[in-house]
Amino acid sequence: MASISFKHVWKRYAGNTVAVKDLNIEVADKEFLVLVGPSGCGKSTTLRMLAGLEEISDGEIWIGDRVVNNVAPKDRDIAMVFQSYALYPHMTVFDNMAFGLRLRKTPKQVIEQRVREAAENLGISHLLDRRPRQLSGGQRQRVAVGRAIVRDPAVFLMDEPLSNLDAKLRVEARSFISKLHQRLGTTFVYVTHDQVEAMTMGTRIAVMSAGELQQIDTPFNLYHNPRNLFVAGFIGSPSMNFFDAKVVQQDGGRISLEIVGHMLPIPAAIAEPFKSHIGKRVTFGIRPEDIHDQSYLPGGITPSMIEANVDVVEQMGNEMILYLEENGKTFVARTDPRTSAAIGHRLGLAFNMDNIHVFDVDTELSLAYEYKQNKAQKAVTA
Amino acid sequence: MSASMTKPFNRRMPPLRFVIARAGQYLVLIALALIILGPIVTAVLGGLKTTGELYSEPFGLPAIPRWENYTGIIASDTFWRQLGNSLIIVFGTVTLTVSSSALLAFVFSRLVFRGRELIFNFFTLGLLFPVTIAFLPVFIQVRQFSLIDSYFGVILPLVAFGIPGSTLILRGFFRAIPSELEDAAYIDGCGTLGFFWYVLLPLARPALGAIVVLQTIVSWNEYFLPLLVLTDDSKWPLTLGIMQFQGQFGTDWGRVMAFVSLLIVPAVLFYIVTQRYIVTGLTGGELKG
Repeated sequence: MASISFKHVWKRYAGNTVAVKDLNIEVADKEFLVLVGPSGCGKSTTLRMLAGLEEISDGEIWIGDRVVNNVAPKDRDIAMVFQSYALYPHMTVFDNMAFGLRLRKTPKQVIEQRVREAAENLGISHLLDRRPRQLSGGQRQRVAVGRAIVRDPAVFLMDEPLSNLDAKLRVEARSFISKLHQRLGTTFVYVTHDQVEAMTMGTRIAVMSAGELQQIDTPFNLYHNPRNLFVAGFIGSPSMNFFDAKVVQQDGGRISLEIVGHMLPIPAAIAEPFKSHIGKRVTFGIRPEDIHDQSYLPGGITPSMIEANVDVVEQMGNEMILYLEENGKTFVARTDPRTSAAIGHRLGLAFNMDNIHVFDVDTELSLAYEYKQNKAQKAVTA
Repeated sequence: MSASMTKPFNRRMPPLRFVIARAGQYLVLIALALIILGPIVTAVLGGLKTTGELYSEPFGLPAIPRWENYTGIIASDTFWRQLGNSLIIVFGTVTLTVSSSALLAFVFSRLVFRGRELIFNFFTLGLLFPVTIAFLPVFIQVRQFSLIDSYFGVILPLVAFGIPGSTLILRGFFRAIPSELEDAAYIDGCGTLGFFWYVLLPLARPALGAIVVLQTIVSWNEYFLPLLVLTDDSKWPLTLGIMQFQGQFGTDWGRVMAFVSLLIVPAVLFYIVTQRYIVTGLTGGELKG
């Protein structure tokens, strides 16, 4: 059981390459934190620094109540599951799982008992005498997890542990790891580039890009209140649509957004944060599911009407994915499956203006981020 | 109709060019085998002849097999003493070469430090010089260390000349071992040496086997170095044993042949038993985990 904190952590490589920039993260005890980002964003380096496999160039990493900068991996009370599983090919499954305990001079009966117990829990008891090469991908993955469990570490580290599994196994393994986290009640730090894994497993998610932490929050907040353009585009599939836009104040004081030749009024209830940008160019973002077919409008939303040409139609059964075009700008909508859209025809659409995102062109920050955070905060306290 | 006739025929007989190519391969292999086996058979048969017979009919079968050439040698104390000496030299050379080149290869493959490649290249320069070229300096060095007439005087130079090649082979093998295994070992509780001992060495067994085999054969066959360093004939290895049949006035070639045949028997047996290690050890490096 341990909390983790990164305090102004930097990783520089020779030749002034910066892999991780001034990272500050607090992970609470028993939390499941997911580090997510595109490849090369520094998430694996961050995990490896936490594991002690990479040196820290600057700053401090705490596990529990001690700084571990100069503590060897074996003394950090951590266990790690690797992308390739990294099972020792020359040892049996039992020996693979027992190896760490043996090195720590654990008594033989204790090793025997712990390995058998872990194997039982993971459903790999019948494989204990096999060698890794005789196992399937899913079995190897379980052995790798088993090797980590028997050590009973304070922190579990996982580096893309599911990316070598096929799609079906990956879904199973996802819930298996989530359950494992609930059962063990240990702090987990999990690295992935897959946003679905991140969203489904993490209690909180840290989104990284180019060595910098972009945002750290719960899956819900990340999705509904992304702090900047990168997070908005990275989380969600199909990803958020972005338009070049301009904030304008119409007669009567109403604030609107001008996009692809259309004027979209912003509901007064959420217009406050945009007042500072009247007359300025901004980036307007809207998620595909917030673009509806006018004929199938859900209740309780503030719609703004717009028309567009239909380029591609993907009927999914439960929903319809439309690729649309208006004045040279293409975007995606997820509409009701009954939508009667025909390729090449014009379709009447409604943007749900309650769920819009607006970003500053230069800083790429969301204009409404703080406003929404405070509002959510108030809702919680009230 | 013709189609139905030719089809099964075709299936049974591979095209002519394949047959010719295959026949060519066999011819080349048979020729090579004969070139290698010829001298060996000549030596084994020669060991059953008298010196006179060897001069008059070197390649034919012996008129009357003279088994006493072989039995005489096997019955003599000298043979067994020299066999023991050979084994001491082989064992010493192999142990020292394997242990030192494994450690060296580990340093050159898994540890990062400034100038690593330069130093490693310097090591591999040793591959350019066979021990034969360096006899004079080696002899002087051995004498300076007062190792004349000691087994170490033979073993140490053999080790020195064996290290570059062995290190090169092992380094390639060590490098092929995925770095995630190393990370896993560190997290499991290994230090650098623990990783070397518990993970790297067991995984490099094929390469280690290949080096053991190669060094065994090289040191078993070494002739010139013991001749130079060992003046006391009680320390001579088997290779020098041939000289006992060279008298002042003539050489008993029949016995020399018998002796040579006996000398190569252990080396050949050893090679047959261990050749699979050489093949996997030198070509391998594939590790599926």
